[in-house]
Amino acid sequence: MATTSVATDKKTKFTVFTIEECPACGQKTKRPFQTGDYITKDGAKCAKCGNQTRISLIYAEATKPA
Amino acid sequence: MVLQTGGIDYTSLLYALSFLFVPVYIILGPRLQVYMALNDIGRGLSRLKLMKDKARKETIDYVTTTGKTVGDPSPRIDQFLDYVTIMPVDIDPNGIVGKIDHVVTVRDERVRTEVGDLVSDKNPVTVSVSENLLEVAGALNNIHKVVRHYYLLGKKTNSYFMLLQLQMIMPQIVQEADALLNAVDTFKLAQPVGDGIGPVIASRYMYGRDKQVVAKDTVMSISEYKGRKLYVMKAEGPMAYVGQPGVGIKHIIDDMGVKPSAIIMIDAALKLEGEKTGEIAEGVGAAIGGIGVEKYQIEEVASGHKIPIYAILVKQSILEAISAMRKEIAEASDKVMTILGRVIEEKTKEGDNVVIAGIGNTLGVAQ
Ligand SMILES: [Zn+2]
Repeated sequence: MATTSVATDKKTKFTVFTIEECPACGQKTKRPFQTGDYITKDGAKCAKCGNQTRISLIYAEATKPA
Repeated sequence: MVLQTGGIDYTSLLYALSFLFVPVYIILGPRLQVYMALNDIGRGLSRLKLMKDKARKETIDYVTTTGKTVGDPSPRIDQFLDYVTIMPVDIDPNGIVGKIDHVVTVRDERVRTEVGDLVSDKNPVTVSVSENLLEVAGALNNIHKVVRHYYLLGKKTNSYFMLLQLQMIMPQIVQEADALLNAVDTFKLAQPVGDGIGPVIASRYMYGRDKQVVAKDTVMSISEYKGRKLYVMKAEGPMAYVGQPGVGIKHIIDDMGVKPSAIIMIDAALKLEGEKTGEIAEGVGAAIGGIGVEKYQIEEVASGHKIPIYAILVKQSILEAISAMRKEIAEASDKVMTILGRVIEEKTKEGDNVVIAGIGNTLGVAQ
């Protein structure tokens, strides 16, 4: 019946990513989410200028239907 | 064409017999429909049961593995799932918001202390996530119980119309239950949810500044924007808190004596089917959901001091609001920042005070 909409929703798989942003040069790095990540947490050193990055966003992105 | 064998007119006989279907259908039709409705609801019901059992199991798992509970937490958790909150009487509605607030506060306090006793890991994120998981498992438990009640009642009384109504809303119920079950995974991983978009925005103004507690689980920082003094508040992250923005805003205005020329609230809002996720709507009025206590408190203090309330809303579905924040919602944050800046510039002057409240569950969003 009307459960089809739920079923189609289920086919889309989501992967959660963490965005690390460098406050100095604005460089953004996207990597898969790791347990313990939260927004404003310190990330890795900036690949471009070596500054301390910060997690600016964590979001789920649809990957190809499984 | 006329079929004739041995003097019997079959066509006329079939024609006569076909009239029999009418009374048979009139008598048996409703029974057939009851049977079909029962079947349909029964299927949904067993799905709901699976969901509520899964949520319960996941909660027990989380409390045992991450929460490091000593002993078997299942009896305690089962007790929680049937926890009842008795709402105050409303035949004399005068002052009812205060009473609801009181009941809800007592419940929250009790849940938190009991969860705190249950889990050995005192990390506030773990405790708050356990609280939220219990809440979700309890909600699913309740949905299943209510649907089962009407299913059995309809079956017992053979009430076609009761079953028909249940059958009609069943897909929505299952969809909502699905959303709740989805939330379990997000909560367990402590990922920001769609509802956390308000806190994400507030967090950008608060990072690196002094925070002060303005209400239970609610923090505020003072910052500056183009000559305006901003009092930015959100629930304290990265715990799965929603805080008490109503109490917080009241505290800033009444206790701290701040005279804001505007209150700006940023929140997630339910989209209608067909609307795009991450669309932004602007408006006026207190943008906050829930039982209504916080909304009342904010409206009271705002109307008492004649402070306009502006709202910036980010559209999403229920499912999106309680599962990991979708890219579309996260990416709306830059647009919200632009709109927020414009609203501040348009609606206030240099030297003014502005209260900004990021409303929503702040799981995975610190400040
Ligand atoms: Zn850099």
